[in-house]
Amino acid sequence: MVGMEEAWLIPAIPAAAFAVLLLVGKYLPRRGDWLAIGAVAASFVLFFPVLIDLLDEVDQPGFAGVSSGIDWVKFSLPTGPDFQLRLGFHVDQLAIVMLVVVSFVALMVQVYSTGYMKGDPRYGWYFAAMSLFVASMLTLVLADNFLLLYAAWEGVGFCSYLLIGFWHERRSAAEAAKKAFVTTRIGDVGLLIGIILLWREAGTFDISEIFEFAENGGYSAEYLTTAVLFLFAGAVGKSAQFPLHVWLPDAMEGPTPVSALIHAATMVVAGVYLVARMLPLFELADPVALNVVTALGLTTVMISATMGLVATDIKQVIAYSTINSLGLMMVALGSGSVTAAMLYLFAHGFFKALLFLSAGSVIHATERQEVSQLGGLAKRMPVTAAVFALGALSMAGIVPLSGFWAKDEILNVAGDHQNFVVYGFMMLSVFITALYMVRVVILTFLGEPRDRGAQEHAHDAEPAMTVPLLLLAALTVVAGFVTFDGVGEALGFPGGFGEFVFSEEPEAFHFPLDVAVLSTVAALAGLATAFYFWSGEAEPARRAAETFRPAYETLKRKYFVDEVYQWAIDRVVLVTGGVVAWFDRNVVNDTGVDGTAGLGVFTGFGMKFLETGKLPNYALAIVTGVIVLAIVFMVVRV
Amino acid sequence: MIPIQHFLVLSSILFSLGIYGVLARRSAVLILMSVELMLQAVSVNFIAFAVYLSPEQFTGLIFAIFVITIAAAEVGLALAIILRIYRNKATANVDEVDMLKW
Repeated sequence: MVGMEEAWLIPAIPAAAFAVLLLVGKYLPRRGDWLAIGAVAASFVLFFPVLIDLLDEVDQPGFAGVSSGIDWVKFSLPTGPDFQLRLGFHVDQLAIVMLVVVSFVALMVQVYSTGYMKGDPRYGWYFAAMSLFVASMLTLVLADNFLLLYAAWEGVGFCSYLLIGFWHERRSAAEAAKKAFVTTRIGDVGLLIGIILLWREAGTFDISEIFEFAENGGYSAEYLTTAVLFLFAGAVGKSAQFPLHVWLPDAMEGPTPVSALIHAATMVVAGVYLVARMLPLFELADPVALNVVTALGLTTVMISATMGLVATDIKQVIAYSTINSLGLMMVALGSGSVTAAMLYLFAHGFFKALLFLSAGSVIHATERQEVSQLGGLAKRMPVTAAVFALGALSMAGIVPLSGFWAKDEILNVAGDHQNFVVYGFMMLSVFITALYMVRVVILTFLGEPRDRGAQEHAHDAEPAMTVPLLLLAALTVVAGFVTFDGVGEALGFPGGFGEFVFSEEPEAFHFPLDVAVLSTVAALAGLATAFYFWSGEAEPARRAAETFRPAYETLKRKYFVDEVYQWAIDRVVLVTGGVVAWFDRNVVNDTGVDGTAGLGVFTGFGMKFLETGKLPNYALAIVTGVIVLAIVFMVVRV
Repeated sequence: MIPIQHFLVLSSILFSLGIYGVLARRSAVLILMSVELMLQAVSVNFIAFAVYLSPEQFTGLIFAIFVITIAAAEVGLALAIILRIYRNKATANVDEVDMLKW
């Protein structure tokens, strides 16, 4: 019987599939895509016995998850406790929620990819990289110590680099991959510093031991605040929070299923998961830590929502909606609610994957992704249009789709724990979200086709691509219902989802009517406004863009953040780099390295003329030497 | 008994003559002979000190015998080398033998 002790199998299977695909993938039938899908499916199936085992034990008082693993490296230090690196896996409620989202969405994406990537010259490598990606993410979710977590974290980043730059023959894809890697790496450095800070005082990498150490007051408040803010820097990079959000829209250069996997289930939620997991540390630290989380989350929500209004690439709009969602989750965490964040993550995983994959179907069918070249696709691709609209409405927060319940929970905790400014901005973001999500639906699927040539052969995709869409659509509808305590208990989660996820401090789902009504009104207002602006010829939208041209330009240029970074890179990084390069070339290399060698050559050249080859000269030198030595010896001795 | 200083003066004279020969002579054979002279100067020293410091032991004498043995071996080797040089260069003048230079 597989239980929580065997949870390591869940990441191990895709990792093994990656190894096999890498070595012999070329020789397998269908380049081994069935192996990758089978591995993810096995991980998904293995999730259930682990969940059942967890549900058996979760009622026990003081249950804090089950760890299992092996010591990987262990040696004793002269100065302190033994230094050990563990390969350990930890299953608890938080991890299990992530497991199901990651493995299920990954499975859907992989199945979808068999259709989307058909005929690609690197078809086999695509599935190998996807397997490694999934394995890294599952390891990240299950890691019981910071080092393994960090390794998996970097693994996820590396795989995203591979996959975003999958079509690296295209310069923009290669650039986007590099940008994603470098930008997230800036955050990763922070994460590493944070981990080292936590380890330095506690002397262990084990997450639960660090929690215990912190609860016993092992860290001073300032120290802990610094450490968790560094950890949060990692999350900012990975979860594309302001100001490190710039990589995510560019990451749309990857194949669309990759976007779905990166933005729905794996990479970007890693940051949210990290903060959710470390929330006890954030709460022990100075309140400033959580306020930073909230502030950055809220900034991210507002800038991404407004940029989504003017983006014209269908995938880019969804990318902004992802940043928007991540910001919401950060606000929830900043308000101290793991439940709300995880609920949103859970629902978001499904509807965002749905949005990306159906957008992928549109791109696959029309080979266009600018909304100005789409339009009127609902007639030709009714299934895709329906599921896309479903996903968009869920993102907009229309009752009773999953996004509604999740977003309400976040609004709720924001209302409870934050001041009214935060709450007001959150409500505003609901309006804007509805506005731009409905906008992209209208521009893509309704109205008249703007580019007839692109639509001639457009039709709903093959079953391998449509079935995952339908499954995800079904989950988009129902996933939100786990919020109800009754539904949660019926599914076997004692005390409902809220209490399950965060059992120590039960935060059951509450449903204040005022929040629900307000958010529904905001979302519906957004929906109606979108129809007013963009239906038909979209004349009002054009007029608005004309009237508010500076604002429009600012949004279009993404608040000039890219320009600021480019300026900083040109003026600061490259100039500093130039100085360092000059120093390295002239001082270190030319003087230091080449100079030493040159000195040897020069000295040798000068000295070689002493070697006359004449015996009497040598004899004279020996005799003189002996006499000089004898004199020196006598003088020193006396 | 002859005082030890006499022996030391003798060996010093022999040694200095040897050095002079090595430095001043140009013929390889004569240089070799000068080296032998220096070696024997050392032998004289050994024997003199052996007799004066520890007459009941043979330490110094054995050293002298070793020096003579090694000198004989050295002469064998060195003469062979000088012969080869003479065969090749038709001279034993060390000023003209300077192949081993830069």
